[in-house]
Amino acid sequence: MDAAVPLAGAHDTHHHGPPEANRSSRVDPQLLGMLLFIISEIMVFAAFFTAYFFIRIVGENEWPARGTELPVLVAGVNTAILLSSSLTLHWAQTSVKNGNRFGLKAGMFTTFLLGATFLLVQVNEYVHIGFSPADHAQGSVFYGLTGLHGAHVFIGLLLLGVVTVRSFRGHFSKEEHRGLEIPGIYWHFVDVMWIVVYTTIYII
Amino acid sequence: MATTETPAPSSTAAAPPALPQIVAHKVERPNTGWTSWVTTTDHKKIGIMYLVLTFVFFILGGVEALLIRLQLAQADNTLLSPQTYNELFTMHGTTMIFLFVVPIWAGFGNYFVPLMIGARDMAFPKLNAMSFWMLLMGGIVFYASIFFSPPECGWTCYSPLSSSNYLPTSGVDAWIFLIHLTGISSLIGAINFYATIANMRAPGLGWGRLPLFVWTILTYSILLILALPVIAAAVTLLLTDRHFGTHFYDPSSGGSPLLWQHLFWFFGHPEVYIMILPGFGVVSEVLPVFARKPIFGYKAIAAATVVIAFLGLLVWAHHMFATPSPTIVLVFFMMSSFLIAVPTGVKIFNWIATLWRGTIEYKTPLLFSVGFIGTFLIGGITGVFLAIFPVDWQLTDTYFVVAHLHYVLVGGSVFTIFAGLYYWFPKMTGRMMFEGLGKTSFWLMLVGFHTTFFVQHAIGLDGMPRRVYEYPDVGNLELYNQISTVGSFILATGIGVTVFNVYRSLKKGPIAGPDPWKGNTLEWYTQSPPPANNFDSVPRIRSVEPMKDIRRQVARQGEPAEPQVPIASASTAPEQGLQPSSGG
Repeated sequence: MDAAVPLAGAHDTHHHGPPEANRSSRVDPQLLGMLLFIISEIMVFAAFFTAYFFIRIVGENEWPARGTELPVLVAGVNTAILLSSSLTLHWAQTSVKNGNRFGLKAGMFTTFLLGATFLLVQVNEYVHIGFSPADHAQGSVFYGLTGLHGAHVFIGLLLLGVVTVRSFRGHFSKEEHRGLEIPGIYWHFVDVMWIVVYTTIYII
Repeated sequence: MATTETPAPSSTAAAPPALPQIVAHKVERPNTGWTSWVTTTDHKKIGIMYLVLTFVFFILGGVEALLIRLQLAQADNTLLSPQTYNELFTMHGTTMIFLFVVPIWAGFGNYFVPLMIGARDMAFPKLNAMSFWMLLMGGIVFYASIFFSPPECGWTCYSPLSSSNYLPTSGVDAWIFLIHLTGISSLIGAINFYATIANMRAPGLGWGRLPLFVWTILTYSILLILALPVIAAAVTLLLTDRHFGTHFYDPSSGGSPLLWQHLFWFFGHPEVYIMILPGFGVVSEVLPVFARKPIFGYKAIAAATVVIAFLGLLVWAHHMFATPSPTIVLVFFMMSSFLIAVPTGVKIFNWIATLWRGTIEYKTPLLFSVGFIGTFLIGGITGVFLAIFPVDWQLTDTYFVVAHLHYVLVGGSVFTIFAGLYYWFPKMTGRMMFEGLGKTSFWLMLVGFHTTFFVQHAIGLDGMPRRVYEYPDVGNLELYNQISTVGSFILATGIGVTVFNVYRSLKKGPIAGPDPWKGNTLEWYTQSPPPANNFDSVPRIRSVEPMKDIRRQVARQGEPAEPQVPIASASTAPEQGLQPSSGG
């Protein structure tokens, strides 16, 4: 009764089929599903961080491995690039809520570009870093954690790409923008996770 | 009824300004035959497919177990080669855990969670179908390896045994992909269950009125969401170690085999509760119905479920007592494992109190539930032995552990699965299962089970390690093993009787009617089997036992009347579920 849409009253005698679905929560199932999925993602990262912990703390291996160096500065700039993509995404999201279509399109496009730049810089870093995942355990976990995160950026970019194309095709409105909200949550999660990865891998 | 269904029933967004209109350009004829199964997104059909598929895997895993027992029936037996033996126990363990017990609960959950909460379907029907097909793919990938080189590393695939140095064949890779595929299947399923239970409950069905089976499926889902990603990550690292030369588990280059054990058991121990908690839920549904008495301590049982799940996340290293760990760590994991006995004990006492002075109807579901309580109790007590790490140092990797885990997994999960099967079969098919065959099956299984596994405690205490393909004829080992083998065939016969019972009841079983057991929960409100839309009207829920309320209301009015429904459905006749006279 609480949340049921009073649909049947309008044309009672013509009503066929099952009763309206009752909504027992104020949270959308789609939103809830994404949040639960993100919890599972956090557990994946936690498992990889456990591997990092085992190799660096329990195994008492040097970090980074002897004779290697991590490009802290380049990765720091890259971090700024990725984090600013969260801001532009937020701009797109507020724009669509205010009915500002230019903001939506420009915001989505910039977000996509920033994300793609991050990924390219990371690939470039792999090319020039001078060690491979097979060299030592430190290399394995470096590529493991950054690669896992990079894979998430890639998936996020696929989602954002769809959202960008849709926003240029005139989809989404003030009232209907869940297709933007849900991938947006995922993207923000990927960004926040990068702060953790960057801090543990490059800084500490 | 024959109008087009909306493609996504859950898409009723929060009060849109205009009512969405569905214009039917043409009415597609509904799929029939096998296409209606492969294209379905209906939770009931998916549930049935889950149950059938997992039962097929159960039979396969059972045959593997019988071969293992045949090999062990004689000292120094040469029936199987050591390699085949290793492959068999790996296939057996992996099948039973990843392809039978975990997904069969998804099957029961799929069928009954929406019915029990008065929903039309799951929250994400398409993802639900995907879960099922991913499970099938996982099973195919895994079982295809029997044509090449099956894995030989046991269901735990400990590193370094599973590394490419020692097992270069692709069996371990098939095992890894099985974990990935069934993991994705279960993860999607778990998110789906959670969203369904949170979002789609009937009016008035608050958390304090949720059926206990639904509570346990909710907890099962949370545990899956927390535990599965860890094993997925662990096997991914194993895969890169095997094929891309990384060193995560390789101690010579700075990795650690202990990492595998920690990641594996961080998943592996919650997995134990993933497999048993829904069984607790089934028992909590069955006992009050057949004792004709409300469940004793509803809140305590629901709370104990959640507490067990929480503690279950903190005890994983009790599987690793034999690894070099500081004593303080051993003590922590010993104490946390002891703690789990408390909420489990709460449940067992609640179940006994539910039966106490009840008007017990000795039907097959009740027998399996009571058999479960006794058997599981023994498994729980040997679990407390094993949680004491000095004792575990003596007993680890012996048949005592095998006995313990089968007492909780077969005596626990499998007995409750059979209780659920006999209890819900009438709802799923519209026909009752034969009681005589059911009771025969139960007694054969109970006797067979205890004959097989009770003696394995003694085998383990005599020092026989698990996972060995042969043993010398010393002491009573051969006699004990022969008893165990005989028992395993009695157990298999009992399972066979149930398979036959299902086959026969499908054709000739007595017509069940909507509510043959006088059930308490909402699934008995609709027809058997339920129509595609589940309910033509959903009553307002006023207690933990809505069907009892409805039967009382009907009895008060003296005649079947329309219950208090949010929306009257003019097109269909009143539900037969209201008839108080239906069934025994």
